[in-house]
Amino acid sequence: MKEIDCRGLACPAPVLHTKATLQEGRPEAVRVLVDNAASQENVRRFLESEGYETRNERSGDDYAVVGRRSGAAAAAPASETRPATATPPGERRTVLVLCTSDRIGRGDDELGRRLMVNFLKTLREMGPDLWRLVFVNNGVKLTIDSSEVLEDLKAYETGGLKILVCGTCLNHFGLLERKQVGETTNMLDIVTALQLADKVITV
Amino acid sequence: MRFPTDENVIVGLERADDAGVYRVSEDLALIQTVDFFTPVVDDPYAFGQIAAANALSDVYAMGGVPKTAMNLVAFPVRDMDLAILRAILQGGIDKLREAEVVLIGGHSVEDKELKYGLSVTGFVHPRRVLTKKNLRPGDLLVLTKPLGTGIVNTAIKAGLADPGLIERVTRTMAALNRTAAERLAAFRVHACTDVTGFGLIGHLAEMVSGSGTSVRLEAAAIPLFSEALGFARMGLIPAGAHRNREFRETMVDFGPGVPRERQDVLFDPQTSGGLLISLPAEDAGPLCAQIREEGGTAAVIGEVLADASERIRIE
Repeated sequence: MKEIDCRGLACPAPVLHTKATLQEGRPEAVRVLVDNAASQENVRRFLESEGYETRNERSGDDYAVVGRRSGAAAAAPASETRPATATPPGERRTVLVLCTSDRIGRGDDELGRRLMVNFLKTLREMGPDLWRLVFVNNGVKLTIDSSEVLEDLKAYETGGLKILVCGTCLNHFGLLERKQVGETTNMLDIVTALQLADKVITV
Repeated sequence: MRFPTDENVIVGLERADDAGVYRVSEDLALIQTVDFFTPVVDDPYAFGQIAAANALSDVYAMGGVPKTAMNLVAFPVRDMDLAILRAILQGGIDKLREAEVVLIGGHSVEDKELKYGLSVTGFVHPRRVLTKKNLRPGDLLVLTKPLGTGIVNTAIKAGLADPGLIERVTRTMAALNRTAAERLAAFRVHACTDVTGFGLIGHLAEMVSGSGTSVRLEAAAIPLFSEALGFARMGLIPAGAHRNREFRETMVDFGPGVPRERQDVLFDPQTSGGLLISLPAEDAGPLCAQIREEGGTAAVIGEVLADASERIRIE
Protein backbone atom coordinates (compact mmCIF):
# COMPACT_ATOMS: atom_id res chain seq x y z
CA MET A 1 0.00 0.00 0.00
CA LYS A 2 1.22 3.45 -0.94
CA GLU A 3 1.55 5.74 2.10
CA ILE A 4 1.34 9.53 1.89
CA ASP A 5 2.13 11.53 5.02
CA CYS A 6 0.35 14.89 4.92
CA ARG A 7 0.49 15.65 8.63
CA GLY A 8 1.37 19.27 9.36
CA LEU A 9 -0.01 20.42 6.01
CA ALA A 10 -2.94 22.83 5.70
CA CYS A 11 -5.76 22.56 3.16
CA PRO A 12 -5.59 22.20 0.20
CA ALA A 13 -2.04 20.72 0.40
CA PRO A 14 -3.09 17.16 1.43
CA VAL A 15 -5.42 16.90 -1.58
CA LEU A 16 -2.68 18.20 -3.88
CA HIS A 17 -0.09 15.74 -2.52
CA THR A 18 -2.54 12.89 -3.01
CA LYS A 19 -3.34 14.12 -6.51
CA ALA A 20 0.37 14.26 -7.40
CA THR A 21 0.89 10.72 -6.12
CA LEU A 22 -2.02 9.41 -8.18
CA GLN A 23 -0.65 11.15 -11.26
CA GLU A 24 2.65 9.25 -10.92
CA GLY A 25 0.76 5.99 -11.33
CA ARG A 26 -2.56 4.88 -9.93
CA PRO A 27 -1.80 2.61 -6.97
CA GLU A 28 -4.25 -0.21 -6.12
CA ALA A 29 -4.33 0.99 -2.54
CA VAL A 30 -3.27 4.19 -0.87
CA ARG A 31 -3.21 5.43 2.72
CA VAL A 32 -3.13 9.17 3.34
CA LEU A 33 -2.19 10.39 6.79
CA VAL A 34 -3.44 13.82 7.94
CA ASP A 35 -3.79 15.59 11.29
CA ASN A 36 -7.33 16.95 11.23
CA ALA A 37 -10.86 15.91 10.35
CA ALA A 38 -11.34 18.56 7.63
CA SER A 39 -8.31 17.36 5.68
CA GLN A 40 -9.46 13.78 6.14
CA GLU A 41 -12.86 14.60 4.64
CA ASN A 42 -11.26 16.50 1.74
CA VAL A 43 -8.86 13.67 0.91
CA ARG A 44 -11.70 11.14 1.14
CA ARG A 45 -13.76 13.20 -1.33
CA PHE A 46 -10.80 13.47 -3.68
CA LEU A 47 -10.07 9.73 -3.64
CA GLU A 48 -13.76 8.96 -4.28
CA SER A 49 -13.81 11.40 -7.20
CA GLU A 50 -10.85 9.43 -8.58
CA GLY A 51 -12.69 6.12 -8.35
CA TYR A 52 -11.39 4.78 -5.06
CA GLU A 53 -13.45 3.15 -2.32
CA THR A 54 -12.52 4.75 0.97
CA ARG A 55 -12.39 4.06 4.67
CA ASN A 56 -11.53 6.54 7.45
CA GLU A 57 -9.13 5.67 10.29
CA ARG A 58 -8.41 7.53 13.49
CA SER A 59 -5.85 7.03 16.22
CA GLY A 60 -5.21 9.83 18.70
CA ASP A 61 -4.34 12.99 16.79
CA ASP A 62 -3.72 11.11 13.55
CA TYR A 63 -6.42 10.74 10.93
CA ALA A 64 -6.07 8.61 7.84
CA VAL A 65 -7.99 7.73 4.71
CA VAL A 66 -7.46 4.36 3.09
CA GLY A 67 -8.45 4.16 -0.55
CA ARG A 68 -8.77 1.02 -2.67
CA ARG A 69 -9.40 0.82 -6.36
CA SER A 70 -12.24 -1.56 -6.99
CA GLY A 71 -13.11 -2.91 -10.43
CA ALA A 72 -16.27 -0.91 -10.84
CA ALA A 73 -14.93 2.13 -9.09
CA ALA A 74 -11.74 2.16 -11.12
CA ALA A 75 -13.71 2.25 -14.33
CA ALA A 76 -15.56 5.42 -13.50
CA PRO A 77 -15.31 8.17 -10.92
CA ALA A 78 -17.74 7.31 -8.16
CA SER A 79 -18.73 10.65 -6.70
CA GLU A 80 -20.62 12.22 -9.57
CA THR A 81 -22.47 9.22 -10.88
CA ARG A 82 -26.06 9.58 -11.88
CA PRO A 83 -28.39 12.52 -11.33
CA ALA A 84 -29.18 12.90 -7.66
CA THR A 85 -32.90 12.27 -7.65
CA ALA A 86 -35.28 10.03 -5.84
CA THR A 87 -35.70 7.90 -8.98
CA PRO A 88 -34.20 4.43 -8.52
CA PRO A 89 -31.18 3.74 -10.74
CA GLY A 90 -32.07 2.28 -14.10
CA GLU A 91 -35.47 3.89 -14.35
CA ARG A 92 -34.16 7.11 -15.78
CA ARG A 93 -32.00 7.46 -18.84
CA THR A 94 -29.11 9.89 -18.86
CA VAL A 95 -28.67 11.85 -22.04
CA LEU A 96 -25.49 13.74 -22.87
CA VAL A 97 -25.58 16.28 -25.68
CA LEU A 98 -22.19 17.02 -27.24
CA CYS A 99 -22.09 20.30 -29.22
CA THR A 100 -19.03 20.36 -31.46
CA SER A 101 -20.02 23.51 -33.34
CA ASP A 102 -22.00 26.71 -32.87
CA ARG A 103 -24.29 25.75 -35.75
CA ILE A 104 -26.13 22.65 -36.91
CA GLY A 105 -25.20 20.93 -40.14
CA ARG A 106 -23.36 22.20 -43.20
CA GLY A 107 -24.59 24.36 -46.03
CA ASP A 108 -26.07 27.68 -45.07
CA ASP A 109 -24.20 29.07 -42.03
CA GLU A 110 -26.96 31.51 -41.10
CA LEU A 111 -29.54 28.73 -41.17
CA GLY A 112 -27.21 26.49 -39.16
CA ARG A 113 -26.81 29.19 -36.54
CA ARG A 114 -30.56 29.66 -36.19
CA LEU A 115 -31.09 25.91 -35.98
CA MET A 116 -28.57 25.62 -33.16
CA VAL A 117 -30.26 28.41 -31.17
CA ASN A 118 -33.62 26.72 -31.62
CA PHE A 119 -32.12 23.30 -30.81
CA LEU A 120 -30.65 24.49 -27.50
CA LYS A 121 -33.86 26.28 -26.50
CA THR A 122 -35.91 23.16 -27.30
CA LEU A 123 -33.61 20.77 -25.42
CA ARG A 124 -35.55 21.51 -22.23
CA GLU A 125 -38.32 19.30 -23.60
CA MET A 126 -36.12 16.32 -22.75
CA GLY A 127 -36.94 17.09 -19.12
CA PRO A 128 -34.88 15.41 -16.41
CA ASP A 129 -33.36 12.92 -18.87
CA LEU A 130 -31.05 15.71 -20.04
CA TRP A 131 -27.99 15.10 -17.87
CA ARG A 132 -25.00 16.83 -19.42
CA LEU A 133 -24.43 19.47 -22.03
CA VAL A 134 -20.85 19.48 -23.35
CA PHE A 135 -19.33 22.17 -25.60
CA VAL A 136 -16.15 21.54 -27.58
CA ASN A 137 -14.39 23.18 -30.54
CA ASN A 138 -16.55 25.97 -32.06
CA GLY A 139 -19.36 24.92 -29.70
CA VAL A 140 -17.67 26.79 -26.81
CA LYS A 141 -18.64 30.06 -28.54
CA LEU A 142 -22.21 29.37 -27.40
CA THR A 143 -21.12 29.85 -23.77
CA ILE A 144 -19.53 33.31 -24.03
CA ASP A 145 -20.93 36.76 -23.31
CA SER A 146 -22.14 37.40 -26.88
CA SER A 147 -24.00 34.07 -27.19
CA GLU A 148 -27.64 34.27 -28.22
CA VAL A 149 -28.48 31.34 -25.96
CA LEU A 150 -26.54 32.49 -22.89
CA GLU A 151 -29.68 33.13 -20.83
CA ASP A 152 -31.13 29.75 -21.84
CA LEU A 153 -27.92 27.97 -20.85
CA LYS A 154 -27.80 29.85 -17.55
CA ALA A 155 -31.38 28.79 -16.88
CA TYR A 156 -30.47 25.15 -17.56
CA GLU A 157 -27.55 25.45 -15.19
CA THR A 158 -29.64 27.07 -12.46
CA GLY A 159 -32.06 24.20 -12.93
CA GLY A 160 -29.29 21.76 -12.02
CA LEU A 161 -28.04 20.69 -15.46
CA LYS A 162 -24.27 20.37 -15.52
CA ILE A 163 -22.68 22.14 -18.47
CA LEU A 164 -19.10 21.26 -19.39
CA VAL A 165 -17.04 23.63 -21.53
CA CYS A 166 -13.73 22.51 -23.06
CA GLY A 167 -10.93 24.59 -21.54
CA THR A 168 -8.46 23.78 -24.32
CA CYS A 169 -10.97 25.05 -26.88
CA LEU A 170 -11.69 28.29 -24.96
CA ASN A 171 -7.98 28.85 -24.67
CA HIS A 172 -7.45 28.16 -28.39
CA PHE A 173 -9.97 30.84 -29.36
CA GLY A 174 -8.76 33.23 -26.62
CA LEU A 175 -12.22 33.12 -24.99
CA LEU A 176 -11.34 31.91 -21.45
CA GLU A 177 -12.26 35.29 -19.98
CA ARG A 178 -15.49 35.60 -21.93
CA LYS A 179 -17.09 32.30 -20.90
CA GLN A 180 -20.22 33.10 -18.87
CA VAL A 181 -21.80 29.74 -18.19
CA GLY A 182 -20.79 26.15 -17.41
CA GLU A 183 -17.77 24.55 -15.85
CA THR A 184 -14.45 24.85 -17.67
CA THR A 185 -13.30 21.29 -17.98
CA ASN A 186 -10.70 18.94 -19.40
CA MET A 187 -10.76 15.93 -21.71
CA LEU A 188 -10.74 13.43 -18.82
CA ASP A 189 -13.98 14.84 -17.43
CA ILE A 190 -15.55 14.84 -20.88
CA VAL A 191 -14.51 11.25 -21.57
CA THR A 192 -15.80 10.17 -18.16
CA ALA A 193 -19.14 11.87 -18.79
CA LEU A 194 -19.41 10.23 -22.22
CA GLN A 195 -18.77 6.85 -20.63
CA LEU A 196 -21.36 7.33 -17.87
CA ALA A 197 -24.13 8.59 -20.16
CA ASP A 198 -26.77 6.15 -21.41
CA LYS A 199 -27.13 8.07 -24.64
CA VAL A 200 -24.86 10.54 -26.40
CA ILE A 201 -26.23 12.95 -28.99
CA THR A 202 -23.58 14.71 -31.05
CA VAL A 203 -24.42 17.84 -33.04
CA MET B 1 -18.21 39.72 30.96
CA ARG B 2 -20.28 42.78 31.86
CA PHE B 3 -20.38 45.54 29.28
CA PRO B 4 -21.09 49.21 29.98
CA THR B 5 -24.63 50.12 28.95
CA ASP B 6 -26.23 53.22 27.49
CA GLU B 7 -29.87 53.77 26.59
CA ASN B 8 -28.83 55.13 23.18
CA VAL B 9 -27.34 51.80 22.09
CA ILE B 10 -29.75 50.45 19.47
CA VAL B 11 -27.65 47.45 18.47
CA GLY B 12 -24.82 46.42 20.79
CA LEU B 13 -22.51 43.51 21.48
CA GLU B 14 -25.17 41.26 22.99
CA ARG B 15 -27.09 41.28 19.71
CA ALA B 16 -24.08 40.03 17.68
CA ASP B 17 -25.36 41.76 14.56
CA ASP B 18 -23.32 43.01 11.58
CA ALA B 19 -22.40 46.32 13.22
CA GLY B 20 -23.08 48.44 16.29
CA VAL B 21 -25.71 51.20 16.13
CA TYR B 22 -25.83 54.24 18.44
CA ARG B 23 -28.61 56.84 18.54
CA VAL B 24 -27.26 60.40 18.29
CA SER B 25 -30.61 62.18 17.97
CA GLU B 26 -34.24 61.48 17.12
CA ASP B 27 -33.42 61.14 13.44
CA LEU B 28 -29.77 60.07 13.34
CA ALA B 29 -27.91 56.98 14.48
CA LEU B 30 -24.27 56.03 13.91
CA ILE B 31 -23.34 52.62 12.54
CA GLN B 32 -19.83 51.47 13.43
CA THR B 33 -17.98 48.40 12.23
CA VAL B 34 -14.43 47.11 11.81
CA ASP B 35 -13.06 44.21 9.79
CA PHE B 36 -9.60 43.17 8.63
CA PHE B 37 -7.98 39.96 7.39
CA THR B 38 -5.02 38.34 5.68
CA PRO B 39 -4.85 38.37 1.87
CA VAL B 40 -7.47 36.32 0.06
CA VAL B 41 -6.06 36.91 -3.44
CA ASP B 42 -2.53 37.32 -4.84
CA ASP B 43 -3.14 40.71 -6.48
CA PRO B 44 -2.52 43.39 -3.80
CA TYR B 45 -4.70 46.02 -5.48
CA ALA B 46 -7.62 43.57 -5.71
CA PHE B 47 -7.05 42.56 -2.07
CA GLY B 48 -7.38 46.22 -1.05
CA GLN B 49 -10.63 46.52 -2.97
CA ILE B 50 -12.04 43.32 -1.48
CA ALA B 51 -11.10 44.30 2.10
CA ALA B 52 -12.81 47.67 1.66
CA ALA B 53 -15.94 46.22 0.03
CA ASN B 54 -16.11 43.70 2.88
CA ALA B 55 -15.78 46.33 5.63
CA LEU B 56 -18.35 48.62 3.99
CA SER B 57 -20.79 45.73 3.60
CA ASP B 58 -21.64 45.63 7.32
CA VAL B 59 -22.98 49.18 7.12
CA TYR B 60 -25.08 48.34 4.07
CA ALA B 61 -26.40 45.24 5.83
CA MET B 62 -27.69 47.42 8.70
CA GLY B 63 -29.63 49.60 6.27
CA GLY B 64 -27.18 52.49 6.54
CA VAL B 65 -25.08 54.73 4.34
CA PRO B 66 -21.29 54.57 4.97
CA LYS B 67 -19.68 57.99 5.40
CA THR B 68 -16.15 57.75 6.82
CA ALA B 69 -13.45 55.10 7.10
CA MET B 70 -10.05 54.50 8.71
CA ASN B 71 -7.38 52.09 7.51
CA LEU B 72 -6.00 49.27 9.65
CA VAL B 73 -2.67 47.90 8.42
CA ALA B 74 -0.30 45.21 9.67
CA PHE B 75 2.71 44.97 7.38
CA PRO B 76 6.03 43.05 7.40
CA VAL B 77 8.02 46.16 6.50
CA ARG B 78 11.39 44.36 6.63
CA ASP B 79 10.44 41.47 4.35
CA MET B 80 8.00 42.92 1.89
CA ASP B 81 8.21 45.58 -0.79
CA LEU B 82 6.39 48.77 0.19
CA ALA B 83 4.97 48.92 -3.34
CA ILE B 84 2.70 46.03 -2.29
CA LEU B 85 1.34 48.07 0.60
CA ARG B 86 0.81 51.06 -1.70
CA ALA B 87 -1.16 48.89 -4.13
CA ILE B 88 -3.34 47.52 -1.31
CA LEU B 89 -4.09 50.99 0.04
CA GLN B 90 -4.82 52.26 -3.48
CA GLY B 91 -7.32 49.42 -3.97
CA GLY B 92 -8.99 50.34 -0.69
CA ILE B 93 -9.12 54.06 -1.50
CA ASP B 94 -10.54 53.46 -4.99
CA LYS B 95 -13.29 51.31 -3.51
CA LEU B 96 -14.07 53.97 -0.89
CA ARG B 97 -14.25 56.57 -3.65
CA GLU B 98 -16.70 54.37 -5.56
CA ALA B 99 -18.81 54.17 -2.37
CA GLU B 100 -18.49 57.95 -1.80
CA VAL B 101 -16.87 57.36 1.58
CA VAL B 102 -13.98 59.51 2.85
CA LEU B 103 -10.83 58.10 4.41
CA ILE B 104 -10.12 60.18 7.50
CA GLY B 105 -7.31 58.32 9.22
CA GLY B 106 -5.82 55.00 10.07
CA HIS B 107 -3.18 53.10 11.98
CA SER B 108 -0.40 50.74 10.96
CA VAL B 109 1.79 48.30 12.90
CA GLU B 110 4.69 46.07 11.94
CA ASP B 111 3.67 42.42 11.84
CA LYS B 112 5.12 39.21 10.38
CA GLU B 113 1.84 38.59 8.61
CA LEU B 114 0.22 41.10 6.27
CA LYS B 115 -3.28 42.21 7.24
CA TYR B 116 -5.51 44.95 5.94
CA GLY B 117 -8.99 46.20 6.67
CA LEU B 118 -10.96 49.23 7.72
CA SER B 119 -13.20 50.62 10.38
CA VAL B 120 -16.23 52.23 8.81
CA THR B 121 -18.81 54.64 10.20
CA GLY B 122 -22.19 55.19 8.58
CA PHE B 123 -25.48 56.95 9.17
CA VAL B 124 -28.96 55.52 9.49
CA HIS B 125 -32.33 56.74 10.71
CA PRO B 126 -32.88 55.13 14.14
CA ARG B 127 -36.18 53.64 12.99
CA ARG B 128 -34.77 52.31 9.69
CA VAL B 129 -32.12 50.02 11.21
CA LEU B 130 -32.15 46.55 9.62
CA THR B 131 -31.14 43.68 11.86
CA LYS B 132 -30.99 39.91 11.51
CA LYS B 133 -33.93 39.38 13.83
CA ASN B 134 -37.31 39.89 12.29
CA LEU B 135 -38.14 37.06 9.88
CA ARG B 136 -41.88 36.88 9.23
CA PRO B 137 -43.84 33.94 7.87
CA GLY B 138 -44.64 34.47 4.20
CA ASP B 139 -41.45 36.48 3.57
CA LEU B 140 -39.23 35.53 0.68
CA LEU B 141 -35.44 35.39 1.03
CA VAL B 142 -33.24 37.17 -1.51
CA LEU B 143 -29.47 36.71 -2.00
CA THR B 144 -27.41 39.27 -3.94
CA LYS B 145 -24.08 37.55 -4.76
CA PRO B 146 -23.23 34.04 -5.96
CA LEU B 147 -21.81 31.59 -3.38
CA GLY B 148 -18.66 29.48 -3.61
CA THR B 149 -15.88 32.05 -3.21
CA GLY B 150 -14.23 30.10 -0.36
CA ILE B 151 -14.08 26.89 -2.36
CA VAL B 152 -12.88 28.69 -5.48
CA ASN B 153 -10.19 30.48 -3.44
CA THR B 154 -9.04 27.07 -2.20
CA ALA B 155 -8.85 25.90 -5.81
CA ILE B 156 -6.88 29.03 -6.72
CA LYS B 157 -4.38 28.21 -3.94
CA ALA B 158 -4.17 24.71 -5.44
CA GLY B 159 -3.44 26.18 -8.87
CA LEU B 160 -6.55 24.56 -10.38
CA ALA B 161 -8.66 27.60 -11.26
CA ASP B 162 -8.42 29.13 -14.72
CA PRO B 163 -7.68 32.86 -15.14
CA GLY B 164 -11.23 33.65 -16.28
CA LEU B 165 -12.69 32.15 -13.11
CA ILE B 166 -10.15 33.95 -10.90
CA GLU B 167 -11.13 37.20 -12.55
CA ARG B 168 -14.88 36.59 -12.09
CA VAL B 169 -14.54 35.59 -8.43
CA THR B 170 -12.27 38.54 -7.67
CA ARG B 171 -14.72 40.93 -9.31
CA THR B 172 -17.57 39.46 -7.26
CA MET B 173 -15.69 39.77 -3.95
CA ALA B 174 -14.65 43.34 -4.77
CA ALA B 175 -18.20 44.38 -5.72
CA LEU B 176 -19.92 46.75 -3.28
CA ASN B 177 -23.25 45.76 -1.76
CA ARG B 178 -24.23 49.38 -2.33
CA THR B 179 -26.69 48.91 -5.22
CA ALA B 180 -28.65 46.25 -3.36
CA ALA B 181 -28.65 48.35 -0.17
CA GLU B 182 -29.86 51.48 -1.96
CA ARG B 183 -32.61 49.60 -3.77
CA LEU B 184 -33.94 47.83 -0.69
CA ALA B 185 -34.46 51.13 1.11
CA ALA B 186 -37.66 51.53 -0.92
CA PHE B 187 -39.11 48.19 0.23
CA ARG B 188 -40.59 46.83 3.46
CA VAL B 189 -37.51 44.84 4.46
CA HIS B 190 -37.98 42.77 7.62
CA ALA B 191 -34.44 41.48 8.16
CA CYS B 192 -31.07 41.74 6.48
CA THR B 193 -27.49 40.54 6.95
CA ASP B 194 -24.44 39.94 4.78
CA VAL B 195 -23.09 36.48 4.02
CA THR B 196 -19.48 36.09 5.18
CA GLY B 197 -17.43 33.61 7.19
CA PHE B 198 -20.26 31.43 8.49
CA GLY B 199 -21.54 30.71 4.99
CA LEU B 200 -25.12 31.06 3.77
CA ILE B 201 -26.48 28.51 6.22
CA GLY B 202 -24.54 29.91 9.18
CA HIS B 203 -25.85 33.43 8.63
CA LEU B 204 -29.33 32.17 7.90
CA ALA B 205 -29.19 30.15 11.13
CA GLU B 206 -28.50 33.38 13.06
CA MET B 207 -31.63 34.85 11.49
CA VAL B 208 -33.76 31.79 12.21
CA SER B 209 -32.62 31.24 15.83
CA GLY B 210 -35.08 32.90 18.16
CA SER B 211 -37.34 33.99 15.29
CA GLY B 212 -40.11 31.44 15.94
CA THR B 213 -40.09 30.66 12.21
CA SER B 214 -38.44 28.16 9.89
CA VAL B 215 -37.14 28.61 6.36
CA ARG B 216 -37.25 26.51 3.21
CA LEU B 217 -34.57 27.03 0.56
CA GLU B 218 -34.68 25.84 -3.01
CA ALA B 219 -31.12 24.63 -3.65
CA ALA B 220 -31.32 24.98 -7.43
CA ALA B 221 -32.36 28.63 -7.15
CA ILE B 222 -29.33 29.68 -5.09
CA PRO B 223 -26.79 31.55 -7.24
CA LEU B 224 -23.30 30.06 -7.14
CA PHE B 225 -20.10 29.71 -9.12
CA SER B 226 -20.80 26.43 -10.90
CA GLU B 227 -17.08 25.57 -10.88
CA ALA B 228 -17.26 25.39 -7.07
CA LEU B 229 -19.35 22.21 -7.36
CA GLY B 230 -16.58 20.43 -9.25
CA PHE B 231 -13.90 21.63 -6.84
CA ALA B 232 -16.01 20.50 -3.86
CA ARG B 233 -16.30 17.02 -5.39
CA MET B 234 -12.50 16.98 -5.55
CA GLY B 235 -12.22 17.82 -1.85
CA LEU B 236 -11.01 21.38 -2.39
CA ILE B 237 -13.05 22.61 0.54
CA PRO B 238 -11.78 25.17 3.06
CA ALA B 239 -11.59 23.99 6.67
CA GLY B 240 -14.07 26.75 7.57
CA ALA B 241 -16.77 25.07 5.48
CA HIS B 242 -16.36 21.84 7.47
CA ARG B 243 -16.53 23.82 10.73
CA ASN B 244 -19.65 25.68 9.54
CA ARG B 245 -21.30 22.37 8.70
CA GLU B 246 -20.38 20.81 12.05
CA PHE B 247 -21.71 23.83 13.93
CA ARG B 248 -25.07 24.12 12.16
CA GLU B 249 -25.99 20.80 10.59
CA THR B 250 -28.31 19.86 13.45
CA MET B 251 -30.59 22.75 12.37
CA VAL B 252 -30.65 21.71 8.73
CA ASP B 253 -32.71 19.13 6.80
CA PHE B 254 -31.43 18.39 3.31
CA GLY B 255 -33.80 16.84 0.79
CA PRO B 256 -32.63 13.77 -1.16
CA GLY B 257 -32.14 15.86 -4.31
CA VAL B 258 -29.43 18.07 -2.83
CA PRO B 259 -26.05 16.52 -3.66
CA ARG B 260 -23.22 16.73 -1.16
CA GLU B 261 -21.20 19.22 -3.21
CA ARG B 262 -24.15 21.63 -3.38
CA GLN B 263 -24.47 21.34 0.41
CA ASP B 264 -20.77 22.20 0.71
CA VAL B 265 -21.31 25.44 -1.21
CA LEU B 266 -24.11 26.41 1.19
CA PHE B 267 -21.70 26.01 4.13
CA ASP B 268 -18.78 27.63 2.29
CA PRO B 269 -17.33 30.69 4.11
CA GLN B 270 -17.66 33.76 1.88
CA THR B 271 -15.36 36.73 1.62
CA SER B 272 -17.31 39.94 1.02
CA GLY B 273 -20.48 37.99 0.21
CA GLY B 274 -23.87 39.35 -0.79
CA LEU B 275 -26.78 40.61 1.26
CA LEU B 276 -29.35 38.12 2.53
CA ILE B 277 -32.71 39.88 2.73
CA SER B 278 -36.09 38.81 4.13
CA LEU B 279 -39.05 40.78 2.79
CA PRO B 280 -42.74 40.36 1.90
CA ALA B 281 -43.38 38.06 -1.06
CA GLU B 282 -44.89 40.80 -3.23
CA ASP B 283 -41.79 42.98 -2.75
CA ALA B 284 -39.18 40.32 -3.53
CA GLY B 285 -39.72 40.19 -7.30
CA PRO B 286 -39.56 43.95 -7.86
CA LEU B 287 -36.45 44.24 -5.63
CA CYS B 288 -34.63 41.50 -7.59
CA ALA B 289 -35.65 43.07 -10.90
CA GLN B 290 -34.30 46.47 -9.83
CA ILE B 291 -30.96 45.07 -8.64
CA ARG B 292 -30.56 43.06 -11.85
CA GLU B 293 -31.36 46.13 -13.96
CA GLU B 294 -28.31 47.76 -12.37
CA GLY B 295 -26.19 44.79 -13.38
CA GLY B 296 -26.17 43.09 -9.97
CA THR B 297 -27.06 39.55 -8.93
CA ALA B 298 -30.33 38.97 -7.08
CA ALA B 299 -32.32 35.77 -6.69
CA VAL B 300 -35.20 34.59 -4.56
CA ILE B 301 -33.71 31.54 -2.82
CA GLY B 302 -36.43 30.50 -0.39
CA GLU B 303 -39.25 31.43 1.94
CA VAL B 304 -39.99 31.92 5.63
CA LEU B 305 -42.48 29.43 7.10
CA ALA B 306 -44.88 29.73 10.02
CA ASP B 307 -43.23 26.72 11.66
CA ALA B 308 -41.93 27.46 15.16
CA SER B 309 -39.36 24.65 15.10
CA GLU B 310 -36.67 27.06 13.78
CA ARG B 311 -35.30 24.69 11.18
CA ILE B 312 -33.70 25.23 7.80
CA ARG B 313 -35.10 22.93 5.11
CA ILE B 314 -33.25 22.71 1.82
CA GLU B 315 -34.86 20.99 -1.15
